[in-house]
Amino acid sequence: MKYRQIALATLLGLALLLCAGSRAQESPVYTRWENFTTANGMPDDKVFQAAVDGDRVWAGTENGLVLIEKGRIQKVYKVEDGLPNRVVTSVAVDPSSGDVWLATFGGLSRFSGGEFKNYRNLTSGLANDIVYAVAVQGEYVWAATTAGISRLNTLTGEWAIFSEKNAPMHEPWSYGIAVTGKKVYFAVWGGGLLEYDIEGGWWKPYNDPDGEMELVLFQNQGLLHDIVSNVAYNSQTNMVWASTYFGLSGYDGHDWHNYLSTDSALASDFINAVQSRGDDVWACTDKGLSYLNFKTGEWITYRPAEAGNGGDIVITTADKKVERRQSSTTLAHNYILNLTFQNDDIWVATAKGLSHGMREPNHQSNKEGNRNEHKSASR
Amino acid sequence: MTLAAQIRKLQVAVSLAMAMLGGSPAGSAPASQDSAAKSDAGYLTPVEAKFSVDGARLYVVCEDADALLVVDPRTKKVIGRVHVGHRPKDVAQSPDGQKLYVSNEWSDNVTEIDAKTLKVTRTIPTGWGPVGLVTDGTGQTLYVANSIGSDVSVIELATGTEKKRLASWRSPHNVLLSRDGRYVFVSNMLGHLGPWDQAPVSELTIIDANRQTIAYRLQIPGAIELRHIAEGSATEGSDLIIPFMRPKNLNPLIQVSNGWILTHGMLVLHPSNTAKGGYEVSQVLLDDIDQYYAGANGVAFTPDGKRLLVASSEANIVSVIDTAKLKQRINSVPASQLPDRLDSAATFVQRRLETGAEPMAIAVSRQGDRAYVVNRLDDSLTVINLTTTRVEGRIDLGGPKEETTLRTGEKLFHSAKFCFQGQFACVTCHPDNHIDGVSWNLETPELGKDRVANRTLRGISETAPYKWNGHNPDLETQCGPRIAKFLFHSEGFNKEELADLVAFIKAIPLAPNRHLAADGQLTLSQERGKKIFFQKNCDNCHPPATHYTALRSFDVGTANKYDTSGNFDVPQLDRIYEKPPYLHNGEALTLEEIWTVFNNEDKHGVTSDMTKEQLNDLIEFLKTL
Repeated sequence: MKYRQIALATLLGLALLLCAGSRAQESPVYTRWENFTTANGMPDDKVFQAAVDGDRVWAGTENGLVLIEKGRIQKVYKVEDGLPNRVVTSVAVDPSSGDVWLATFGGLSRFSGGEFKNYRNLTSGLANDIVYAVAVQGEYVWAATTAGISRLNTLTGEWAIFSEKNAPMHEPWSYGIAVTGKKVYFAVWGGGLLEYDIEGGWWKPYNDPDGEMELVLFQNQGLLHDIVSNVAYNSQTNMVWASTYFGLSGYDGHDWHNYLSTDSALASDFINAVQSRGDDVWACTDKGLSYLNFKTGEWITYRPAEAGNGGDIVITTADKKVERRQSSTTLAHNYILNLTFQNDDIWVATAKGLSHGMREPNHQSNKEGNRNEHKSASR
Repeated sequence: MTLAAQIRKLQVAVSLAMAMLGGSPAGSAPASQDSAAKSDAGYLTPVEAKFSVDGARLYVVCEDADALLVVDPRTKKVIGRVHVGHRPKDVAQSPDGQKLYVSNEWSDNVTEIDAKTLKVTRTIPTGWGPVGLVTDGTGQTLYVANSIGSDVSVIELATGTEKKRLASWRSPHNVLLSRDGRYVFVSNMLGHLGPWDQAPVSELTIIDANRQTIAYRLQIPGAIELRHIAEGSATEGSDLIIPFMRPKNLNPLIQVSNGWILTHGMLVLHPSNTAKGGYEVSQVLLDDIDQYYAGANGVAFTPDGKRLLVASSEANIVSVIDTAKLKQRINSVPASQLPDRLDSAATFVQRRLETGAEPMAIAVSRQGDRAYVVNRLDDSLTVINLTTTRVEGRIDLGGPKEETTLRTGEKLFHSAKFCFQGQFACVTCHPDNHIDGVSWNLETPELGKDRVANRTLRGISETAPYKWNGHNPDLETQCGPRIAKFLFHSEGFNKEELADLVAFIKAIPLAPNRHLAADGQLTLSQERGKKIFFQKNCDNCHPPATHYTALRSFDVGTANKYDTSGNFDVPQLDRIYEKPPYLHNGEALTLEEIWTVFNNEDKHGVTSDMTKEQLNDLIEFLKTL
């Protein structure tokens, strides 16, 4: 009896391993999460975005800037430290200088060598103090504001503003920026996706071809919707991805690849941000974090279990086979605001904290050690 | 032909011969007319000196001669001369000593020279206004501080290309590589743009040489004009020394006669694992209670680190300091008191040695037996015997023997001896003939009222009247009795001296404009801004024909509660981008603020109807003036 039980358990284990092993080669699954919330030192629940600089992780929250290093919150910077506003909506690290650029609700800020230098609408050429996104592209710093896109030339100090007055925008309210070598893409609220060629100085707008606010009539004929919340450029595939509040759009320069929750395993059509590298596409939705392997068509969605213990992982293969898994740790919340990569790990900004996701099984042994060092507030 | 003319001709011939021997021109940008006129006097005007890696040669940078001189310290002779770019400021060497790099502040480049042949091998573009520079420990990277761009060019020497530019703070001056090669230190001449009615804060920018990124910005409260940097020996703790000036700009200058308004000294940075930025910072004054040593500038340690030499360029003095006693002083006086204690220097200064005019830099020999002090306005080096701690001689670098009116005026401009107790010279508040970046409470019937921002002296000869209230009809009035009575609290300059001083100030040139293309073509934004400038009738008060000033005063609604009058002299707009802060009291920290914050009544032009884009364009145009 005992031997039969052992044999059955072994067979079952082997079957699971084989299953997981074959999947893992396709799309690694993140089953280990550590969360940084107000319970372990975050200044606010809401985390808008994180940016990685080597071993350092910078997180913009609704109440300050957070530096995480060696698995711990090292420092929280607030207005009294020089931050222009408590709401830090976007963070970008300039790899060239090590400076950290911040989009805030009180202007743009450069954090360099422990000091803030702030650029406000009244004190600089910044278009507006409500800044939703910041990106660094060589000597240029781009800022998406409610009054258009501002560009600072850090070498000459020159400011330029791009808005409905000089760019094909229906309105200037801009949400996201993605930079490439020679081009910049902008997510414009109600204005679709904009491509700007720096050398040529020309614009190329991408808009919803059906023009319908709530309907998608022509799914792969263009951008899904003109309300674009964010944009990402994948330099490996040369694809640009746009998150909208009505689905996910990808453009490879020739064809559009659009995804809705009704015809794919996308967690929700309400997407706050998208990030992409290699074959990976991550959609940050209001109902969890959805991953798409663009090559295989496999989807994986992560969200906290409704029961409140651990997380649900839903894997949907290209042929619609669904596998459900449970993880003992999970995301801090299912309302996902953004995501960034740190080698194989991911950092996910949510409405209830910052979540550090680690891949299984490849790095399990290493990460397990780290986790024990962390003062994690795992759900 | 007069004797002076014969000497001059001979000098030109010698210079030409040496240039031919020394190397070819660097092919840098042409000098401006003004500065060319000044250089025609033939002065060398040495500003920096460094020993070669093997210690056998002394490289001397001469800014008015656009030259690098090579001096043999044994024979005390100039043995080589290389023509470099315009207004050279510093020299660096590759670690093996085979290559020399000279920064050319007004050419925006670096001249690379083969140290053996003294031939120019390359001209490497930099940012705006390259001054201090240093190579890293491997010789692969050159760090160049750009005084106008307020940044540091990181140059890959293999290709001669600029890899990146790191923001320093404001008007970076000197650069030093730490002995262990891990950090590059950048001193900043001017303080932060901050509240106009507060004491200034300056910065030492620290670059991580491995990552080539900004590691830390060390804030220095109450001090400005951070200049040379020296690192002590490892055995003595590797302290960093940086000379500075502490302006008490919040006090009325009427108190100069009570002393202690402008003090001069040095930062002492002691490495610490626990201190912010990695250094415990002490501010120590070099002044005595009844005698000041203005213009703390060049600095050098002896090789054993036991002594320190600091040049006071406006007092023509080098102070020799016992570093052990300096440490004792720092350890015995509370750090909060030390920056204001005038009884410190007496405890650690071994000797005050007289130099030539305007000692700017110091180089100590490898053996530590002698120090060579660069006398900027003497075209000479003072040789100090460090065994006897006495001046033992002078090396004549070969400048003209006749002193021109302009040279005399320049010496007066740089001399603190005319001020009560030698507290300051004209140049103290106008470093590089420009601004110190702070607001002052000058002479005024009502103490504490009428605080005004420092104004540049560059290109002002045709912009009378002077002062923010426009009360001085000419520079003779400005620099004569008024300065004597209200600033220097002394007899001031006599008639002849005043004439020479004014002649010098009138000859101070503008720096090249970095925002205007070489062919004068405006960018689209600048062109749009130009239209706005004239559409808005800015030229009514800022007419182009007279340096963009109407040469009179207007009330444009910028007075605040501290002002006794609303009328202010219209400032000239030439090189306006070099002069923040703005408005009469320095209240506007940026050009934008002039209109976005301080023009609520539309008295400073009707600007409330302008869009942000238009304002940005207008500012881009103003920068081209």
